[in-house]
Amino acid sequence: MNPPTALIADDEPLLRDALARQLAQAWPELRVVAQARNGREAIEAFEALGPDICFLDVHMPGISGVEAASRIGRRAQLVFVTAYDQYAVQAFAQGALDYLVKPVEMARLTDTVARLQERRRAALPVTQTEALLQQLAAQLRKDAPPRPLSWVYAQVGPALRLIPAQSIDYLRSDTKYTAVAWRGDDGLPAEALVRTPLKELLAQLDADHFVQVHRAVAVNLRAVSHITRCGNETATIHLKHRAEALPVSRTFLHLFRQM
Amino acid sequence: MPARVWREAMTAASLSLPVKPASMLTRRLAVAVTVASFACLPLSLIWASPSTLWLRAMVLALVAVLVFTVLERWPRRLPNALARWALQVGGLALAVPVTTFAIYLFSTADGAPPFWTQSERASGFFLLSLAGMLVAPWTALAALVRQKDALARHQALAFDLERSELARQALDARLHLMQAQVAPHFLFNTLANVQALVDVGSPHAPAVLRSLTAYLRAAVPQLHEGGTTLGQEVELVRAYLELMHMRMPDRLRFSMHLDESLAGAHCPAMTLLTLVENAVRHGIDPGEDGGTIDISIERHGTRCLARVSDTGVGVQQGGVPGTGLATLRERLALTFAGAAQLRLTARHPHGVCAEVEFPVQDTAS
Repeated sequence: MNPPTALIADDEPLLRDALARQLAQAWPELRVVAQARNGREAIEAFEALGPDICFLDVHMPGISGVEAASRIGRRAQLVFVTAYDQYAVQAFAQGALDYLVKPVEMARLTDTVARLQERRRAALPVTQTEALLQQLAAQLRKDAPPRPLSWVYAQVGPALRLIPAQSIDYLRSDTKYTAVAWRGDDGLPAEALVRTPLKELLAQLDADHFVQVHRAVAVNLRAVSHITRCGNETATIHLKHRAEALPVSRTFLHLFRQM
Repeated sequence: MPARVWREAMTAASLSLPVKPASMLTRRLAVAVTVASFACLPLSLIWASPSTLWLRAMVLALVAVLVFTVLERWPRRLPNALARWALQVGGLALAVPVTTFAIYLFSTADGAPPFWTQSERASGFFLLSLAGMLVAPWTALAALVRQKDALARHQALAFDLERSELARQALDARLHLMQAQVAPHFLFNTLANVQALVDVGSPHAPAVLRSLTAYLRAAVPQLHEGGTTLGQEVELVRAYLELMHMRMPDRLRFSMHLDESLAGAHCPAMTLLTLVENAVRHGIDPGEDGGTIDISIERHGTRCLARVSDTGVGVQQGGVPGTGLATLRERLALTFAGAAQLRLTARHPHGVCAEVEFPVQDTAS
């Protein structure tokens, strides 16, 4: 049998070297044929060199370790390395995948090496399945659930600014753009433009605070001073810090109807 | 969602309008009808037909409410000498005899002589007018006093609400600061690096450990709140950046410049660190190529301008800086009461520039 080969992928060079050193101790015959700094390099090195075992850091810039693993699939034995990813570790344990926790303890590494050697000797099929890995990659992406925008990226004069959502008074649709009426830290009213259409922007904002009140207007409820009813099933919203009033159209009047 | 929206909208609305107009009108009518009914009681003893009396009193009550409500808004502008309440009360006093006169005029049967020539009807007109003129203006005065009272109570309530909201924000900001600032991922990764250095007997190990200790001392939940000096803050940021540079030597470059005259200036704890951590986490770390972070702290007259700009991946709409910046905003607002500003701008071709500007307050030391 050829001497086993391995790939180490981690964005932190000190940790790549440390793992290579520890492996040299725990498994002297293993040859580390490549080191990669991110998921993309890991996949490239794997395709070029076809190592038997891949040690993949979960958190890497660009393509993560789990995503790289799902591309490599069953073609290699995979060992995940992570510093602290509660959900990932749980998932690895449940999926019977090999993983190491940084800083890597020698005893734990020895166990993992023994398991890898065992599988290699018995020529057992690789345990991980693509389906499981893809599921895991999706799950890790989901670990950062889409929170409502706390900042909106907008054009203020010549500069692109990040405007805190809570300082927005209202949004007004302006053909291709959305006008953002907000107040700076000095409390003075200002306006900015966002390239995102109103509907799309509204979908990303906190629905508890931003509501559409008109086909072309959405208001931050925290900026509302009071609402007056007008004839013909419409109403007008008056704002706390601005002179202009906003229209409420018939379609959205139900939001403000009294019991 | 709609229920909550409604509730918040109504709370917002009620802040400026103590009672909704419709329910206000209903209440006024109810009061007028009750008062008029009671006023009828003694008169009905001497009246020929109590039911006619009551009907006439009701008409008077309705007209009184109408006059009172109309004069509340109209005319929009009054001469300075005429107070709104005087107009309302005076208007009522005038409206009562006029209305009574009209009632008697219209209730006179066809062909009958005018009511003032018949002694019984004439005395009825005088009695009803007199009673109305006695009762209506006093009731109006009472209503006005109550209304003013309610407004004052409402304003006090709104003020209390606003104050408690501010107190809550202050508490939130403090809690956020106290909640663990040290991400376990950062801690264990850094420890793994330190371990690697120690294992090979690297001469860098002691310096790195010192940086880690300095960072942890500042970033671990602090029970004493308040500020540090810009000098201390810069040292903390240096410790953090040196740790990160050890971890990603090929991806992170940084430079720092502090106007030495600002070293003793007051600075809310973690202000600069929040900006720098944000630049690393959202700008440098996600990119394969990393980038450069430039930090400069300058004096502009009586104000201090701290700028952290990076050449990282920048922010996309949607993938936007985390809660760190939002809580920093809150803290700055609480510490400097609106005199501080936090600005984020995009850089070309990519990257973010974060600026904090606040008044320089030299610490006593």
